[in-house]
Amino acid sequence: MLIQQIINGLTLGATYALIALGYTMVYGIIQLINFAHGDIFMIGAFIGVAAASIFFHNFFLILIAAMLACTVLGVTIERVAYRPLRRANRLNALISTIGVSIFLETFMTVFKGPQPIGFPHVLNNATYRLGHTEFSSIQIIILLVSILLMVGLQGIVRYTKTGKAMRAASEDYDTASLMGININRVISFTFAIGSALAAAGGVLVGIYFNSVDPYMGVMVGLKAFVAAVLGGIGNIPGAMLGGMILGLAEVFGVAAGFSSYKDAIAFTLLIVILLVRPTGLLGRPLQRKV
Amino acid sequence: MKKFRVAIILISVLLVAALAAGCGSKPSGQSGAGGNAASGGDTIKIGFMGALTGSEASYGIETLKGMNMAAGDLNKAGGVLGKKIEIVQSDHGSQLSQAAAVVQKMISQNHVVAIVGDPTTGKTKLAAPICQQNKVVMLSAGAVGPGVVEIGDYIFRDTLLDSVAAPAVTKYLVNDLGWKKVALVTSTNNDYSVGLTKIFEKALADNKATIVDRESIQDGDKDFSAQVTKIKQSNPDGIIFTGYYTEGGLFMKEVRRQGMNLKMAGGDGMLSPVLWKLGGQAVEGSMVYTGFAADPANAAPQTKEFIKKYQAANDNKLPDMFSAQGYDAVMLLARAMKDANSIDPSKFKDTLAQTKDYKGVSGNITFLPNREPVKSPVYLLEVKNQQFAIKKVIPTAAPTE
Amino acid sequence: MENWLAGLINPYYEQVLMMVGIYIIAALGLNLITGMCGQLSFGHAAFLSIGAYTAAIMTRNLHLPFIPCVFAGGLMAALFGALLGLPVLKLTGDYLGIATLGFGEIVRVVFTNLKITGGAIGLAAIPRDTNLINVLVFVVLTVWAMSYLHNSRFGRALAAIREDEIAAESMGINAMFYKVQAFALGCFFAGMSGAFYAHLLQYLNPSDFGFARSFDILNFVVLGGLGSIPGAIVGTAVLTLAPEFLRFVAQYRMMIYGALLVLMMIFRPNGLLGGVDFRRLLRRRRQKAAVAGN
Repeated sequence: MLIQQIINGLTLGATYALIALGYTMVYGIIQLINFAHGDIFMIGAFIGVAAASIFFHNFFLILIAAMLACTVLGVTIERVAYRPLRRANRLNALISTIGVSIFLETFMTVFKGPQPIGFPHVLNNATYRLGHTEFSSIQIIILLVSILLMVGLQGIVRYTKTGKAMRAASEDYDTASLMGININRVISFTFAIGSALAAAGGVLVGIYFNSVDPYMGVMVGLKAFVAAVLGGIGNIPGAMLGGMILGLAEVFGVAAGFSSYKDAIAFTLLIVILLVRPTGLLGRPLQRKV
Repeated sequence: MKKFRVAIILISVLLVAALAAGCGSKPSGQSGAGGNAASGGDTIKIGFMGALTGSEASYGIETLKGMNMAAGDLNKAGGVLGKKIEIVQSDHGSQLSQAAAVVQKMISQNHVVAIVGDPTTGKTKLAAPICQQNKVVMLSAGAVGPGVVEIGDYIFRDTLLDSVAAPAVTKYLVNDLGWKKVALVTSTNNDYSVGLTKIFEKALADNKATIVDRESIQDGDKDFSAQVTKIKQSNPDGIIFTGYYTEGGLFMKEVRRQGMNLKMAGGDGMLSPVLWKLGGQAVEGSMVYTGFAADPANAAPQTKEFIKKYQAANDNKLPDMFSAQGYDAVMLLARAMKDANSIDPSKFKDTLAQTKDYKGVSGNITFLPNREPVKSPVYLLEVKNQQFAIKKVIPTAAPTE
Repeated sequence: MENWLAGLINPYYEQVLMMVGIYIIAALGLNLITGMCGQLSFGHAAFLSIGAYTAAIMTRNLHLPFIPCVFAGGLMAALFGALLGLPVLKLTGDYLGIATLGFGEIVRVVFTNLKITGGAIGLAAIPRDTNLINVLVFVVLTVWAMSYLHNSRFGRALAAIREDEIAAESMGINAMFYKVQAFALGCFFAGMSGAFYAHLLQYLNPSDFGFARSFDILNFVVLGGLGSIPGAIVGTAVLTLAPEFLRFVAQYRMMIYGALLVLMMIFRPNGLLGGVDFRRLLRRRRQKAAVAGN
């Protein structure tokens, strides 16, 4: 029972973490809460469904197709809707992300209908049993793929030149651009990676829950953002940690009989953490500059 | 100086007010309040109230499909009282705040004589007082919760009342299928589910079955692993699920994934092919009670024909209860108008109230003196080979009140 | 009076107009918090719902007269605003926004589970006490109160905090004290707006007060021009009427709405009335008149 719930929690947490990474990277560099990020996750899932009917049900091809398509989408959205607002009031950019979010949700409702659709059968879902604990191959794949993608991301950020530029930009945007870093390219790259990870999350969640609908990104997106804040926004390991904590907290909250308060669990946790450690678990303390 | 500023602000408020009011007088000189029924013209306008966008869109879209089918059938047969039926559609985007405006608009701008909708109990309760006050018949094709028809004598619904059906079904589940220990799952942010759970609780107690586990979920949830893990521990004979098809299908998938071989039973909130589109093999054997026998093989002739027609128009998709009830709603209104020989709501509301044993596609409908509908018999459908099949026909009696 | 008005204005327009008025009251409340004081709030709908449920329960269950219940709804919202504000207003910028968003979601979940609010089934049979007259009166009162605050010592303190909190504190302004006051006051107006909302729709459901509704109100304020009272009014009117005017495009409506938000932010970054200072316009006109007079 306990181990079962831990597995449940980690699987849920891994999906939160994948989406949280996109939030955290974008926020780290341009201090923008991208409320449309959850909808990119949703589009990723839909593209996965579409790809599943073209690529003869090969899981990895589907995953790559969805990630590529969402990369293009994410970069385009940034170029069209956010870049013109980079020097504007932060609230304006924020509302622009809300506008994009409403647009994408309605677009998919009009285009594919509001009813959830199932994900075509692409993975053999074997169930393994260890004592009283059951876990399925999909759960293992979700955990593995998430960890692989997160490690890959950490590698890019730590050891490549672009990663270095990203870190510099998040440290000090203006100084970085004075140092000859092409800020526009760095930001496009950030959106590209964030969107690709969200798309991967969308495909994995779509397969795991066998359900894809235009509004699937709303709550998940919000929770993933909470996960990012929990771990310390702008901090990549923090997003992973936050996602896992949130997943476990929700599953154990439900197991303890608070299922009707499930959505409140995440936000209560959020407020408490913000009050105790305003910049999240792994975030650097905020300095008040005069 | 200060006065000036306040004056300017006031003027801007009034300007906006005048602007909106000014637009109001343009399209029609008529005042909207009351008595707009016999406004002539050669069409009979019936309004559709529901969501075409937003979270409740799937219910609204299906209701509207059924209504348009009914209007098409009626118009092909020469219309009603020599006039064509026109469906006035609207969309409140699943938002309460827009729902009131939408209803007001249909009544005072489009001059509808009747409104079909809303698919949800909450928004029906919001719209009903407006319809009652303006003397427009409202026939909800989806509201099942309490406190709807009590709002006034212009308010009707053609749904299956759970207070009638659930006790009869519970009796069958407990006595014939041996469900002595039951896990009861409620979607706590779904008014239908919360209401149905209360009815099942009482019915289970009456039939001496015990509820060994209560779980709550929410509409929009995808992850039910924690709840299912808990159900597994209590080892019930069956699961009663009071929510909608989306969560029902996904819930059963998780039940199978965790290796349990339980069956699920629930109300017509789960009557949709989406149930097995999401649940797949996991929902085989799941049971849904309904007045609408969505069994293409064994249904009554009019229901069979409706299913066939719907499938022809919707690439072979099976209709759900919303489209069937939307279809019946328009048919019931047309029948009442014919009987009253009038399209004046104050006249045909009385003939509508007298509807008795009407053979609708969503079941046989009789309105009680308090305008509550009774559908008899109730069909317990079972998912068999990814299709609904009638498992048991359960006769019901009108509640004695 | 009310009957005379009902004959004059088509009920549909009356309905929409009342909704605009109700949202103006809420938007002006948020404008005080975000526009004047510079504190982000993504949970304004929660205070709307607190006011709505408080007033509705009072008129419905206790049969109290409407107008006192409006104030009670406002006070209850203000109380919760102060209780939330005391701890969270320590936070700054987006963190504050997220904390208030979280609070909004918690309130929604609690209302879904409470018995007295009717839970997910909602609260029906609320008397229809809202009418165009009392909404208009309260809109005027709110506008008056806001413009009074704007130019008071309090308003100047808020502006100082908005521009630079540390500088304001070093000038001897107790920033926390003013921030909590502004937050509670903004919530007070949200609560009153909620009370009118409840007695207009006659039915409440917690799902109606999610974070999307909070962002709606934020959009009103930002679109009109942050910090500007006429701006908040125009922004509210435009965005509340937009879905009504866009009704002919049916299901594409919200798509256009979303795209409009993006375009407005890009091409009118300071809001519809941003940068237009009515006072300055007036002053200039008067100066011109004076010059001409000379």
